[in-house]
Amino acid sequence: MVRQAFGHSTERSVFTRAARFFAPMRIMFVLALVAFLFVVLFPFYWMIVSSSKTLFELSGRTPTFWPGNWTLEAYRILFEELNFGTNMGVSFVVATTTAVLAVVLASLGAYAVARLRFRGKGLMLNTILIVYLFPGVLLIIPLFAMLAQIGRWLDVEIADNLPVLILTYLAQTLPVALYMLASYFRTVPEEIEEAGLMDGLSRLGVIWRITLPLSVPAMASVAIYTFMIAWNEFLYAFIFLNNRDLFTLPIKLLSISQQLNTRWDVVMAASAVMTIPVIALFLIFERFLEQGLVAGGVKG
Amino acid sequence: MGFLRAQTLQQREARLAYALIVPTFAIVAGLIIFPAFFSIWISFHDIGLDNLNDVFRAPFVGLENYWRVVNDYAFPEALVTSIVYSFGGTLASVSVGLMAALLLNQRFHGRGLVRAIFLFSYVAPVISAAFIWRWVFDPTVRGVANWTLMNLGVLSEPLAWFGKTGLALAMVIVFEAWRYFPFAMLMILARLQAIDATLYEAAVVDGANLWNKFRHITLPELRYVLGTLFLLRLMWTFNKFDDIFLLTSGGFGTKVLPILTYEFSFKLFDFGRGAATAMVLFITLIAFMFVYVRKVLEW
Repeated sequence: MVRQAFGHSTERSVFTRAARFFAPMRIMFVLALVAFLFVVLFPFYWMIVSSSKTLFELSGRTPTFWPGNWTLEAYRILFEELNFGTNMGVSFVVATTTAVLAVVLASLGAYAVARLRFRGKGLMLNTILIVYLFPGVLLIIPLFAMLAQIGRWLDVEIADNLPVLILTYLAQTLPVALYMLASYFRTVPEEIEEAGLMDGLSRLGVIWRITLPLSVPAMASVAIYTFMIAWNEFLYAFIFLNNRDLFTLPIKLLSISQQLNTRWDVVMAASAVMTIPVIALFLIFERFLEQGLVAGGVKG
Repeated sequence: MGFLRAQTLQQREARLAYALIVPTFAIVAGLIIFPAFFSIWISFHDIGLDNLNDVFRAPFVGLENYWRVVNDYAFPEALVTSIVYSFGGTLASVSVGLMAALLLNQRFHGRGLVRAIFLFSYVAPVISAAFIWRWVFDPTVRGVANWTLMNLGVLSEPLAWFGKTGLALAMVIVFEAWRYFPFAMLMILARLQAIDATLYEAAVVDGANLWNKFRHITLPELRYVLGTLFLLRLMWTFNKFDDIFLLTSGGFGTKVLPILTYEFSFKLFDFGRGAATAMVLFITLIAFMFVYVRKVLEW
């Protein structure tokens, strides 16, 4: 009895001690969480608020945290005077083409890597993955020189050539796309594919009718992922594009910010127009995308 | 031709495999692998705007480009700045990522949403992120950071956050932490969730407190992922161009080697010197990785 009572009382005191200990822990936890959320979200909140302020509120000595009168003036300037719509179109075309081509090409390659046996597979795969080592700034110089040379041979203008830009984006995104899709294809049960072969389908038939339809989610996530990379890319577009009408959004945004007397409401509006689609895509497809983020395709 | 028809199934599959992978391989080889080697070649030649479209006949200059890079007045500072920036940025983003991962490893309502929000800064375009930061930290009083700190009495006059030597470097490191902690967070979180819960239960029975549990279970279990993360982030930060270029254009003590590479090639149009700078950057990185992988990761 005594021993039991003793045991019981220790247990209770452990419990109350834990409760006392946990209350401050709980508060610290909530505080930390709120601090994190604030630091992550405030810049985005400030972007949207600043883009919708009147000039008076924007440059006043006391910042307004909530605009008295919301205005879309900055967005009007952006689209009507600065032709932002054209550049959105360019960015959209570039990013979509990159995404579609990356998914198509990487799916084919990934199938070969995941399912077929061929000589030199290891070497080829390592060569493709080694890309991670090469910094963008290291590659931009030889790329520029090489493409200028090829352009002279073929009599093609390399600057302001969107297909060339897309090609360089493909080179940057294909390795990750291949890697992601290959690891997905390996999860498709081999028995299903073998059953298809038994039923008289060719390998290509198996790929087209069995593997690809089963892999739509993975392909969609690779597509969105490469779309985001191409949409956000700065350095290559900065080097390769000179014509205002062909600027992708990042370069357009830079040029707007470099005008005399930077209009911060307009810069913030442009940032918002560029950021919101990306965040929306990410939120919708978050589950699929995280794998790619961990694979580190952004190289960022 | 007879033997072509008599191919085995295996041979046919191999041929198909080559056909499937060749487009990807060709693009990567042509636009990344070849340029990488070409870069070495360029670094030994004199290439400017005048002979850019006739590169293969550019004069060979031996090590002159390297000599001029190493003796450039901006080089030593850029090397040191690069090292400070990449180590500082890596440490900051990995440790903030660790904190975020530990928070998200707790169970609470809305955890999925918070986790998604934490990734915003990582998925947002770098250019928007950089401009938002420049606006938040505007050097005048209309910058919300200056205004708030002045009102709280912390500052007496507005600070040029990105326009003061020393502070600017610290700020780009803070930006680095803000923008890239989610990458570390995701990788650490995945590992945290794989830790066997019975380890903690056993530790509690042995009377371990929170710190003991973290120090003797969590940290050892995370050792490998933290080591890998550190290497990846360091590599990427060392090569990073966009962020600093957009925040400070490399001014005020933030000129890192990638910025120097850019300036030599696309401002002075001395591509040979630019390529040599990039090679120096690359060699430094490889040397570091070699030591790191053997000493720290013990591969």
